[in-house]
Amino acid sequence: MIKLMISHETRQLFRSGALWSILGLVVLAIVFAAWSGGRSVTRQLAGAGAAAKFEDGLRNHMRRDAEKYEAKVIAEGGEYQFASVRHAPGMGPPQGTNAGAVGAETAMYVSLPPTGLAALSIGQSDIQLNYLPVSMATTLDVTKYLELENPVSLMTGSLDIAFVVIFLLPIFILAMSYDLLSSEKERGTLAMILAHPISLRELLASKIIARAGMLLTVVLALGLIALFSVGTDLGSADTWARFGLWVIATLLYALFWFSLAVLVNVYGNNSATNGTVLAGIWLVVVVVVPTLVSLVATAVYPAPSRMELTVAARAAQTVAEKNYMSKLDEYYYDHLEYVPEGDQKAMDFLTLAQANNNSIEKAVRPLYDEFQVQLNRQEALVQRFQFLSPAIMMQLALNEISGTSADRYEHFLEQVYDFHDQWKEFFSVKFLERYPLKPADYEAFPEFDYDEEGFALVLARLLPSLLGMFVLLLGVVLVPTLALRRYQVAAR
Amino acid sequence: MIGTIARKEFSEIVRDGRFKWTAGIMVLLLLTATLAGYQKYSGYMRIQQLAQGESNTQWLKQGDKNPHSAAHYGNYAFKPAGPLAFFDTGISNYAGTAIFLEAHKQNFAIGRPATDQSSVGRFGDLSGAMLLQLLMPLLIIFLGFTAFAGERESGTLRQVMSMGVTNRQLLWGKALGVGTVVLIVVVPCVLVGTFVLSMADLNIVGEGMGTRVAALSVGYLIYGGIFLFLTLAVSAWAKTARTALMVLIGFWAFAGFLAPKAASEISKAVHPSPAFGSWFSDMRSHQIRGLDGESPWITVEKYKVELFRKYNINSIAELPVYWPATRMQKLEELDHPVFDLHFGKIKSSYTEQRRIQDRLGFVAPTLPLRSISMGLAGTDLIQHIKFLEDGEAYRRYMVSEMNGYLSKAAASMNATYSSSNYMRADEKVFSIVAPFEFDPPSLSATLREHRGNFVMLIVWLAAAMGAALFAVKRMSVEKG
Repeated sequence: MIKLMISHETRQLFRSGALWSILGLVVLAIVFAAWSGGRSVTRQLAGAGAAAKFEDGLRNHMRRDAEKYEAKVIAEGGEYQFASVRHAPGMGPPQGTNAGAVGAETAMYVSLPPTGLAALSIGQSDIQLNYLPVSMATTLDVTKYLELENPVSLMTGSLDIAFVVIFLLPIFILAMSYDLLSSEKERGTLAMILAHPISLRELLASKIIARAGMLLTVVLALGLIALFSVGTDLGSADTWARFGLWVIATLLYALFWFSLAVLVNVYGNNSATNGTVLAGIWLVVVVVVPTLVSLVATAVYPAPSRMELTVAARAAQTVAEKNYMSKLDEYYYDHLEYVPEGDQKAMDFLTLAQANNNSIEKAVRPLYDEFQVQLNRQEALVQRFQFLSPAIMMQLALNEISGTSADRYEHFLEQVYDFHDQWKEFFSVKFLERYPLKPADYEAFPEFDYDEEGFALVLARLLPSLLGMFVLLLGVVLVPTLALRRYQVAAR
Repeated sequence: MIGTIARKEFSEIVRDGRFKWTAGIMVLLLLTATLAGYQKYSGYMRIQQLAQGESNTQWLKQGDKNPHSAAHYGNYAFKPAGPLAFFDTGISNYAGTAIFLEAHKQNFAIGRPATDQSSVGRFGDLSGAMLLQLLMPLLIIFLGFTAFAGERESGTLRQVMSMGVTNRQLLWGKALGVGTVVLIVVVPCVLVGTFVLSMADLNIVGEGMGTRVAALSVGYLIYGGIFLFLTLAVSAWAKTARTALMVLIGFWAFAGFLAPKAASEISKAVHPSPAFGSWFSDMRSHQIRGLDGESPWITVEKYKVELFRKYNINSIAELPVYWPATRMQKLEELDHPVFDLHFGKIKSSYTEQRRIQDRLGFVAPTLPLRSISMGLAGTDLIQHIKFLEDGEAYRRYMVSEMNGYLSKAAASMNATYSSSNYMRADEKVFSIVAPFEFDPPSLSATLREHRGNFVMLIVWLAAAMGAALFAVKRMSVEKG
């Protein structure tokens, strides 16, 4: 019987213009979203590529100078010497022989590779820079750059598949099912149907199965197509595991909205009221609660002002600098090129510059760490508050699944800090030893290899959001099942 | 007659359960948003002024050093909040709040509050503007979608029409009734907000608060009017109340959520901004190689020869200006066109994107209104770009003052130039650089910039009224 009902409902839906317009909109939205998500990822990769190419070019240039110099030394005899530091072009051994100059004047771009699903949820990747220039500069200088994005667009947010799923999919679901029972009741057909050997529960189930089956098939199929067209790394198991999680999250979220429509219908009002109530709930869940949670989180754990931090960091920097600068004037620290030719102090200045950078970093770092602690507290609060709205749970989940969450970026940053230390160590030791860098040494420069987070870790972070949605779904399913017994079949 | 219809509509709505709920939530949210916005805004202004003051002191008290080193030490420009930022936060969460001003480098504005917020912040800010842009239209829809369709379903429309009321009278009466209810909900909250603002002693940047508030009110009134007449039009056109509701909610979701995002993506596709990596390496390569392919070091050497010829001398020792300082200023000036070119590219792509988004306002009235609202609140892109420009102009002024001072004051040191022989300056010299002041775009310029958006809103209102008149004229009185 239930099979018959489902096929009947499906046929009825196929004949209605509303279904086709809704499905048409879903297709349009997802295609557009996949296109814009794909563009965003392509742009990030192109930016990372261009930056790396430029810096590698600079380094290769220094290396070629060193090669020419090496050839000259071999041809003309003499010693392969270490160049003193200068910015302006000059005579003598090239700067490529000075590890301090190479490490300070060229940067090594390290990048966070997108996961296979990055194009499906832009998440926080538009306000983070996914490739950072590591050099001898302070950590703060390494991490100060931002991706170029129009602030108006950042404020508006991306139209990616995550947006379609979180914001639009519920609207489509509610538009299909806000009058699930009420319309039959208003037309008087409900009593007639229930005169057949079918229970109200079975009727509801078949209506939902028909609708959910159709809509979700389209959404998941389009998700798969989107993955094939704008996803990356299709060969890796990680991508498919992530896609599996994406399917689970999307199903949970969609079923929540279908069940909500049933819940509202079971409390038996007319279609117009059901529509109003469901639209109101949508607004509260998707807009009001998230903005309120954000408001509360920033009010309870306000991030200390960046402006105060800037001024405080500067005060600390000034003190640190004075310790080093009282001995030698910082004038030449800023401008090695003006140290008169042959002045041996030039070396001391670069040494000093490095010592100074280290001391600034030591002085300023605690302030930034404290800042981060407060941010983590805020994030933890949001983690707890997410259960107030499935939209928040879904947003956190999709960012996590697509690898565009703040957590994965943090994981990347930790590796960047390590690599930065390694880079500084490599070049400053060679510089302090006054070791003349040979062209062959360029092969031995430290290289960055991003170590992806373990899948178990991703799952562990994802679990609260998925479980939260599951529990919520159970609740929303349970209530109408119990209330169904008292449902009035005939219109009053 | 119109008055009677309006009174009937008004009391019917106010007695309905829908009204109590929606109005209650709306009032609560508006008050919360106003107070939270005010608290955040006043806190921001206090800290901004404090930070700017302290940074100016740090500049003066940086210790005795060479004037050019002082320019390296530099100063910060901290962005003051827009005059109505508490009402409409605009882009302020996503635009930097401070620029480091130093010799040789044009820096980006840093300290975007969004970076220091959890990702839930991306759902948006609960602000007065957001509520009026998104919730007010929904309130209008909820209160008005049954205006004609509901009466038709219950059969009263036929009765009313039989009493000799014209369709037009009915439309104006209903519009007046629903409109009054909406105003009763919204206006008190706006008044509370204005009152709180006028009580507070805020150091507001930007002139013409009265005009700003008035222009904003006009904008939001037109916006509300658009949704009011669209709601009545659809209610008259639709066969059933539920169809009217679905169509209206569909349009609302499109206008409020989908259209702004789609417009933003389209604008980025039409006028893409460069990715940071490509942009940064292009700029660096121009800095190293020179815009015209001549290395700055060669240009500077030519400049030296030029100076020698000008003063009719043949060694640095004879120069009447301190050579290192003169050279640094020359190098600095060689960078200016490079910065202008590359930062100009970013600026023009953002500006073009903004214009496209404004022009796409014909698909959704939320787009032009949003622009007007941010513009008058002083939290839009135009204001931010002006801040960046003022900051850069100040940086160039600061550096040239320091280099200029050094090149004159140390002129006699050309002959004894060595690494342990340099000039030191103190606070008195640093104080020749006047403190940074932000000069926000004038109110008249802002209004001029948004003329097109106001026209767009008025066209929308006219179209909505036209649609409503057309729909009631052809309205069927019978059910089904």
